[in-house]
Amino acid sequence: MMKIIFKIFDNLESYLCRALLVTFVTLLFAQILSRELFGHSITWSEELSVYLFVWFVFLGSSYAAKLSAHNRVTFHYKWLPQKLSTFFEFASDVLWVSFNSYFIYLSYDFVFNRMNLFWKSQTLGIPMKYIYLILPIAFVLMTIRIIQVNYLKFIKGVEVIDPEAQEMNELMSHEMQEVSATDDADNKKTTGKMENNL
Amino acid sequence: MSEASIVMVLFGSFLALLILGAPVMVSLGIAALASFFYLDENPIKFVQIAFNSVGSFPLMALPAFILAGALMEASGISKRLVTLAESFAGPVTGGMSAAAILACMFFGAISGSGPATTAAVGMLMIPAMVNRGYDKGYASAVTASSGGLGIVIPPSIPMVIFGISALGLAVPLEAIAKHGEFQSISIPKMFIAGFLPGVVMSVGLMTLNYIQCRRYGFKGSGEGWSISQIGKAARSGIWSILAPLVILGGIYSGFFTPTESAIIAIFYTLFVGLFIHKELKMKDLIHSLETTTWLSGRVLLILFTATAFGRILVENQIPAIVADSMLSLTDNLYLIWLLIIAFLLFVGMFMETLAAIMILTPVLLPVAYTLGIDPVHFGIVMVCSLSIGFSTPPLGENLFVASGISDTPLEEVTAKALPFALVSTIMVIIIAYIPQIALTMPSLLGY
Repeated sequence: MMKIIFKIFDNLESYLCRALLVTFVTLLFAQILSRELFGHSITWSEELSVYLFVWFVFLGSSYAAKLSAHNRVTFHYKWLPQKLSTFFEFASDVLWVSFNSYFIYLSYDFVFNRMNLFWKSQTLGIPMKYIYLILPIAFVLMTIRIIQVNYLKFIKGVEVIDPEAQEMNELMSHEMQEVSATDDADNKKTTGKMENNL
Repeated sequence: MSEASIVMVLFGSFLALLILGAPVMVSLGIAALASFFYLDENPIKFVQIAFNSVGSFPLMALPAFILAGALMEASGISKRLVTLAESFAGPVTGGMSAAAILACMFFGAISGSGPATTAAVGMLMIPAMVNRGYDKGYASAVTASSGGLGIVIPPSIPMVIFGISALGLAVPLEAIAKHGEFQSISIPKMFIAGFLPGVVMSVGLMTLNYIQCRRYGFKGSGEGWSISQIGKAARSGIWSILAPLVILGGIYSGFFTPTESAIIAIFYTLFVGLFIHKELKMKDLIHSLETTTWLSGRVLLILFTATAFGRILVENQIPAIVADSMLSLTDNLYLIWLLIIAFLLFVGMFMETLAAIMILTPVLLPVAYTLGIDPVHFGIVMVCSLSIGFSTPPLGENLFVASGISDTPLEEVTAKALPFALVSTIMVIIIAYIPQIALTMPSLLGY
């Protein structure tokens, strides 16, 4: 039971984002269809999809933190001693956590102390407070993910490789075989020669 | 002088954090925050910047195009486009590598990303070129160099980001007084303007390709054009050819906004992938959704802090300082263009394209206004210059991808790709010096 809960929490943003993405894409499509085919424009759909999109983005950036996919400039690390670059990376993550913590404080303060329930969205009439709530939530999650990545790295010794680097590694090792395996007969002869070269 | 010291605080802390290896988003955020404190402004503004920078309808084109691109890959649309380009190779010297460039152009019309273009085209075209007796290093270099076309030929994610960054910037009043009204920027306008420059860049690459192939002696097939093969590729690829037509046709005719046409592309691809090619699997669908999630999350989080950063720049008239110091060097517009392009190439070598656009647009676009440069033209030159960074060391993603696919040492691919980067640079300079290349199509189409 604990394991299932843990697994859900571990992939929380991913599940939520998939659902949000599918929903706003479908919503926009429905809007286009209803406008073009029936000449009827759904007034609330644009606003709703923008809000879903904002939620998607901030939860998605937490997911990106979990994959350690956020862009850094690290090409100069290879000229530094291993220890120094590890320290740099750790120090920058500490700064990241501090920035997030301060932003969590700011957004919490803004949502709970400065926004009232009378500030409503234009067409849906939802209090903006509930929509802005994603900011403290997502930044708390993101901070947890940063700590999680560092915990895995320093305590468990598991390196979290960002998805781009991972794809690149796969490309280096498997892709050629995969291409020749899945391609249709036309390309068999072309890839055949490459295999000999490998 | 307080302006000079705010420059120090803002850029000093930004560069220090960047060198430390902090994520771009954090570097920008902390630098902006430090400047807020320094200027005694209330940092609570950050919260609204966070929400408003992301919550805009045109911005939804970004995840939609990423998703459409990922799905096209999974539903076999990309593969068929490349096969079609391959069938055009024929008996010409360097035909196969020209076909690789053509494939990148086709592909650029459905995808908004450089490395994705290189991977998709390279996977099929590099083995095909090697099979025709091309050198592996050269084959990889051609593909890596033309992969950048993916972001120049619309739809282009960097152009979406440029449009969004530029929309928030007011035109300086002095610039209007001096040069008259400027045309407004919109994403559809950027997409239309990007088409001819994309063709110009491709022509440059193809010309160099022809010269190089003659030198190396990479001949075409002896058999001449195979009409039946072209016909076969066109028949099986008909649904793939329709994809760029659907996307660009919808935008160019003014029928759909870029966001809407990306949404239509998603459903079109789902339809083709599920019912016609029958290649799209549930696993790929989930994978595409995930890729879209982390890519959009990471890019748009940078947009939040970059917006805060840009606001401080503009509020403190820093672009005006940059413009003045540029004008004090020279007032020759051609030399200034060279300076700007050189600077963009340099940044493009070290920084991820979208991050670079978000950081540099608030600095350079007001400068461009002050110099009387058209904003759409400027955006196109910016995207074209940064696209070259994909195939230059030390951060050329396209080079990594291509050398990974062909299993060739990175140094070899890089050395053979440098002449192409040089030609692309010359093409960018031409595009910068002749504004009509970028601006004719939008004005013809009434934008």
